[in-house]
Amino acid sequence: MAVVTDQVTLTVDGQSVTVAKGTLILDAAKKLGIEIPIFCSHPKMEPVAVCRMCLVEVEKMPKLQPACAVYVMDGMVVRTRTEQVQRYQNGVLEFLLANHPLDCPICDKGGECPLQDQTYTYGPGASRYDFPKKHFDKAVPLSDKILLDRERCVLCWRCTRFSAEISGERELALIQRGKDTIIGTFNDQPARSEYQGNWTEICPVGALTSRQYRFISRPWDLDRTATICPGCSMGCNVHADARHNRLGRFQARENLAVDDGWLCDFGRYSFPSFQREGIERPRVRRDGRLEEVSYEEAMAAAAQSLRRAGPATAGWASPAATNEELFLFQRLLREVLATPHLDHGRGRGEAATALEPDDAALPIADLERCDHVLLLGGQAVIDAAPVLHLRLFKSERKGVRVHRVDDARAALEAVPAEAQAVGIVSSLGRKPEVDSLQGKLARKVKGSVRRLLVPDGPNGRGATDLGFGPGRGPGYASLDGKAGRARPDWEAAGVRALYLFEASPLHDFQASGEEREWIQRLETVVLQRPRPSPLDDLAHVILPGRAFVEKAGTVTNMEGRVQRIRPAIDAAVVRDDWKILQGVAQALGADWRYRDPDEVFADLSRAVPAYRADRIGERALWSERA
Amino acid sequence: MSLRKETVAMIREYARRYPSAQSAIIPALWAVQHEQGYVTAESLAEIATHLELPPSLIESTSSFYSMFLTRPEGRHDVVICVNAPCGLRGADEVLAYCERTLGIRAGQTTQDGAITLRSTPECLGACGGAPMMQVDHRFEENLTSERIDAVFERLRTEPAPHEVVKPKAVAPVKGEKARSGVEGARPRARRTQK
Ligand code: SF4
Ligand code: SF4
Ligand code: FES
Ligand code: FES
Repeated sequence: MAVVTDQVTLTVDGQSVTVAKGTLILDAAKKLGIEIPIFCSHPKMEPVAVCRMCLVEVEKMPKLQPACAVYVMDGMVVRTRTEQVQRYQNGVLEFLLANHPLDCPICDKGGECPLQDQTYTYGPGASRYDFPKKHFDKAVPLSDKILLDRERCVLCWRCTRFSAEISGERELALIQRGKDTIIGTFNDQPARSEYQGNWTEICPVGALTSRQYRFISRPWDLDRTATICPGCSMGCNVHADARHNRLGRFQARENLAVDDGWLCDFGRYSFPSFQREGIERPRVRRDGRLEEVSYEEAMAAAAQSLRRAGPATAGWASPAATNEELFLFQRLLREVLATPHLDHGRGRGEAATALEPDDAALPIADLERCDHVLLLGGQAVIDAAPVLHLRLFKSERKGVRVHRVDDARAALEAVPAEAQAVGIVSSLGRKPEVDSLQGKLARKVKGSVRRLLVPDGPNGRGATDLGFGPGRGPGYASLDGKAGRARPDWEAAGVRALYLFEASPLHDFQASGEEREWIQRLETVVLQRPRPSPLDDLAHVILPGRAFVEKAGTVTNMEGRVQRIRPAIDAAVVRDDWKILQGVAQALGADWRYRDPDEVFADLSRAVPAYRADRIGERALWSERA
Repeated sequence: MSLRKETVAMIREYARRYPSAQSAIIPALWAVQHEQGYVTAESLAEIATHLELPPSLIESTSSFYSMFLTRPEGRHDVVICVNAPCGLRGADEVLAYCERTLGIRAGQTTQDGAITLRSTPECLGACGGAPMMQVDHRFEENLTSERIDAVFERLRTEPAPHEVVKPKAVAPVKGEKARSGVEGARPRARRTQK
């Protein structure tokens, strides 16, 4: 008796392969390691079969079939390299190149261009077309981020499908038809999408390119570093590409659990603010003037002044500092200086409200598996982590109901009692509200209610996990009544010395006018920061450190995933921040001997067992602790 | 120039008739062209608002069809089909005859603003009566020079179709303005092939 399964077996180029029903010929071939050339097909978009590059022979079918749009059937016999297929591939490429400008030497895509590569692999060496080519204006600005070269476009519809199926904004469209078809926005208005950079990555030719990357480099001249976007707590994985030690671009580095292969423009185009404009030396204020000194002298001077203030010191860290740095800075403040006044981020809120681990946090990818998602705070939450929108839109397309609500009452009403899996997405600052909403919803609905809270900064989550706030120690350990005060209360608490540790121009201290006045009156201000800062003229000691893209260590994203960051540019003699922190602690008499960030992590892991060296890349597991 | 109340009501009604508002784009475009004689970017945006669809989708649809005009043309629209069946029955000569008689080339409008002549390689779906032409969305079939003369004769004096259908709603002055004012007309040539 035949067994009914949902698997089908077919042959591709004589090799047999078994795949699930509903698999495309293209993917079945890929499973065998057989590459079928494509342009329009994209794994995250519906097949449209418009470019005809992927035609293959299928036995018993009269004409060649597009492998990107035909699903496998049991017993199918597919051939991908027959003479007929090769003739068609030649033909398709010859057509695509008929009007193509072939300006590869000045095209930013050159060297990583599917059209170029496939012409070499599958195409004819020469063109028979000697009529005048179609001409369009070169490099038309689609927005302040993107240039469009319509002469190079092969009309694969990937960008328009991204706009319709991935971001849902439908800004890009095909206009006119036939040989006159062009890509454009409505009435040539500038594109406003927050996700335009992705168009340049999916465009299989040099039609859509980034203005920031224009004429910067050939791909083979880039030094590629696998790291994390400094933009926000989403923690999107990126390749940071640098040339001659200058950043040229950020490209997506697909992590299906986090970014799903996309970046937002805020993060992607943030790299110019990380360009290092030179190497600075530490400085110490003597007789009102900042004088250049060695790191040792500067650290000693910092230690001397901080010792005087002791528990009247307050420490602020950027939520873009690494876990290792935050752990050390936290030790320096609590253990060495015996002060409880720690805070990160801007304003009041996060550090003060996050008093326990987010055990039941909803993983980003699980948004797709909810049946109702409450976006409490609406667009403001998306603005804080833009790639979240893409995940939510994808979820919506799968049938998840996403409710954009501003207050908890509306949220409670939006979800019906039959809901199976409810997700609440909001900012960490609204935690108390979310806590109570979660409780109410749990009583109202049948299924589970989980939440995903968005902190500020690429390591805002790490900062709270590691106790970089006034209320809790590392791993949310209780401080036994020795809690400190949050940033807005430091003046009232009688703080006399301030140690500011900045790590990214995107998440710096940003003193308000009032704060500046207060800082001006302090007896000691130690400023450890990667770039000249508006606070420089108030500082007594300046310790140049490294920016996010120059650091090695780990950061934790909103869902609690601990990910590695690696230096994409070499900051040369600028000292690693963990070394500076250790140096100051040593100058204050501490016996610290860390040799690298991994050793710091090992120590951190003892204090916060949820953070495990063998689980970097995964979410920290808090409940295992019990 | 924003759309008249009646047109907007019609667009809303079309949207209700279909399960997806997207299906109402073409009827909506017809309604606009009927009212104004052509479809400007401004009207496209208005359609988008009423159908609650992205404007790029409306432009994508309207620009796909050569039947939607993007700038003011003559009072009457004459389209000669030059697809194969019509071609076999003498469409090229028909076109040449029209050009000679009207003293204009295909794509142009007569001096008095009465007739815009166009040709289309798109089969207009009346091959049985080839050679044929479409006059303001009505077919004239089995063309001969006499028939063509008679049609042109009539068009010279006849008002534009939308002025006939809704005489009350269209103030003639407004209609005149729409045809002569280039403002709002979309210069399509701007980004097409150079
Ligand atoms: S611009 Fe690029 S992605 Fe968009 S249709 Fe053209 S070739 Fe495809
Ligand atoms: S969502 Fe955040 S982490 Fe992701 S690319 Fe944007 S700024 Fe970077
Ligand atoms: S990749 Fe299959 S038709 Fe384009
Ligand atoms: S070919 Fe002219 S109407 Fe069909």
